[in-house]
Amino acid sequence: MTFSIQALAAPSRTNEPRSTGSDISVDSDEELQAVSSVKRKKHAAVITPGELVTDDPQWMRGHGTAATPGSTAILATVAGTLLRTNKLLSIQPLRARYTPEIGDLVVGRIVSVETKRWKVDVSAPLLAHLPLSAINLPGGILRKRTSTDELAIRTFFSEGDLLVAEVQSVYQDGAASLHTRSLRYGKLRNGVFIRVSGTGGGGSVVRARRQVWTINTANGGGDVDVVLGVNGYIWICKHSRGELVASSEEAKKMNEITRMEEAVSESMYSNRNDEIPPQTRREIARLTGCVKALVENGIRVDEEMVMAAYHASLEPDGDDVPMTMDYDEGHETHEYLGGSRGSRVVAAAVEATKG
Amino acid sequence: MPLDTSTYSLALLRLDGRRWNELRRMHAQISTQPTADGSSYLEMGNTKVICTVAGPAEGRKAGGGGGTGGDANAMVQVEIGIAGFSGVDRKRRARGDKRTSEMQLTVANAFSNTLFTHLYPHSTILITLYVLSQDGSLLAACLNASTLALIDAGVPMSDYIAACTSGSTSSYNNNDEAADPLLDLNGTEEQELPFLTVGTLGAGEKVSVLVMESRVQAMRLEGMLAVGVDGCKQVKEILDDVVRRHGKRILLERVKI
Repeated sequence: MTFSIQALAAPSRTNEPRSTGSDISVDSDEELQAVSSVKRKKHAAVITPGELVTDDPQWMRGHGTAATPGSTAILATVAGTLLRTNKLLSIQPLRARYTPEIGDLVVGRIVSVETKRWKVDVSAPLLAHLPLSAINLPGGILRKRTSTDELAIRTFFSEGDLLVAEVQSVYQDGAASLHTRSLRYGKLRNGVFIRVSGTGGGGSVVRARRQVWTINTANGGGDVDVVLGVNGYIWICKHSRGELVASSEEAKKMNEITRMEEAVSESMYSNRNDEIPPQTRREIARLTGCVKALVENGIRVDEEMVMAAYHASLEPDGDDVPMTMDYDEGHETHEYLGGSRGSRVVAAAVEATKG
Repeated sequence: MPLDTSTYSLALLRLDGRRWNELRRMHAQISTQPTADGSSYLEMGNTKVICTVAGPAEGRKAGGGGGTGGDANAMVQVEIGIAGFSGVDRKRRARGDKRTSEMQLTVANAFSNTLFTHLYPHSTILITLYVLSQDGSLLAACLNASTLALIDAGVPMSDYIAACTSGSTSSYNNNDEAADPLLDLNGTEEQELPFLTVGTLGAGEKVSVLVMESRVQAMRLEGMLAVGVDGCKQVKEILDDVVRRHGKRILLERVKI
């Protein structure tokens, strides 16, 4: 399975001469420069918990490090690579649970409903809060919240609902406070949910310029939205909001737009899926397979890689049964993206993004 | 066959052919289960353990297997499942088994003092251990597997907890002054000889876990402890090597794209 991947990795290993001293203790100016050059190199040495990072008092310790009482030594507390920001030394863990940061786009699931807020699972150490005051209420965005809304809190989100939101603030203890005050955010429907690991490691979502985008899918699948939550929760669904935007562009009247917003907020908290044609379902499933294949092969999940994998998955390749569009007959087609087929698709995607 | 009187004194080789200061083959893997936050698989000889870590996450109630930690700190909870087929004779252990819950408590206490639990208030770190095969040094294997899984989960800790067992060849009756201490006992040796489990913080001399359930002459203890701590240093090197190799592989994959 990994044979093709290793073949790709080989050249990068040879043209990056690695210093033989894997120990990154910083004692002198000379070695200090070694640290910065290590950082600039694409792969630095792995530091493991308890390892001495430096005993020079000029450095400050950041995340993933600890001071030893009674000395100036800084020790690592996680396994990862050294990151130097001016005088701050921190260790980036190889893999860690997601830690919320302000502005992150996350996909979450409602765990519990309280009087004025929801608790949302965003795969962080603590559950995130979504206050009632931080959502768009139906019937116009700018409306005062009333006690009626408080009583009807379950009509907006109830336990088990999925939503896409942004981290508005982070509390002292690390818990996130979310908001959905934008038409881009809100309840999720018409799609599938995938969970991949949080930040770091091989296959995981990375913070990128664009976390939400629309794909015009092949085989008549229409438009499909992909939402990559930074927390490793992914949502792939049929594109629907854009239709309303398109219609509003046709009729460029102001009142049309307000009506559109009303229509959006009407459907915003609906729990019913739209009618999804089989072609769209198939393409959603293919995208899901692409994401899973990327994760299985330890490749980062972002727009570039998902798109490359999707295009690669559309290409027939010789080792498989011939591509057939006859879905009713029920024999195996190119829809399956696991196992060796998955690694071939990923290898092709990696090749495509390189060139 | 009493081990301490027969073969050992003749050839100075143990039943499985090791000398007194040799570890069994130790093999470990890290990140074995993609859905867990952290996971590991560890073999110490024929003792085989799978470990998964869930968390730190909110929402688990206190109770169940050994849990420690206040509200301002993350709580470390440990669940140990011993498979019915893991031992020589097949038996199913009850859920509230005393020996199991003591092991759970020992592991939980060890890690709640080593992990930086203050970084994750109101949350729980759940360590789940499955024992697939037991042949001595079970507690040590559980501690080592948990260390690896917690490193995989990216939970900050002050250092590795590396553990192994050590025993003494001569029983109380023999009263033999020159009795050799033994390192890393297997299942048959554990049944016949007095032994202790020792876990150290990293490769240093700091002992974080020390458990002895059998009786031994007090003067033997020092030798056993010295051999045990020395064994922990070797174990730490092996664990560290596993983590480094895994890290190197991940970094290579990152460069690839």
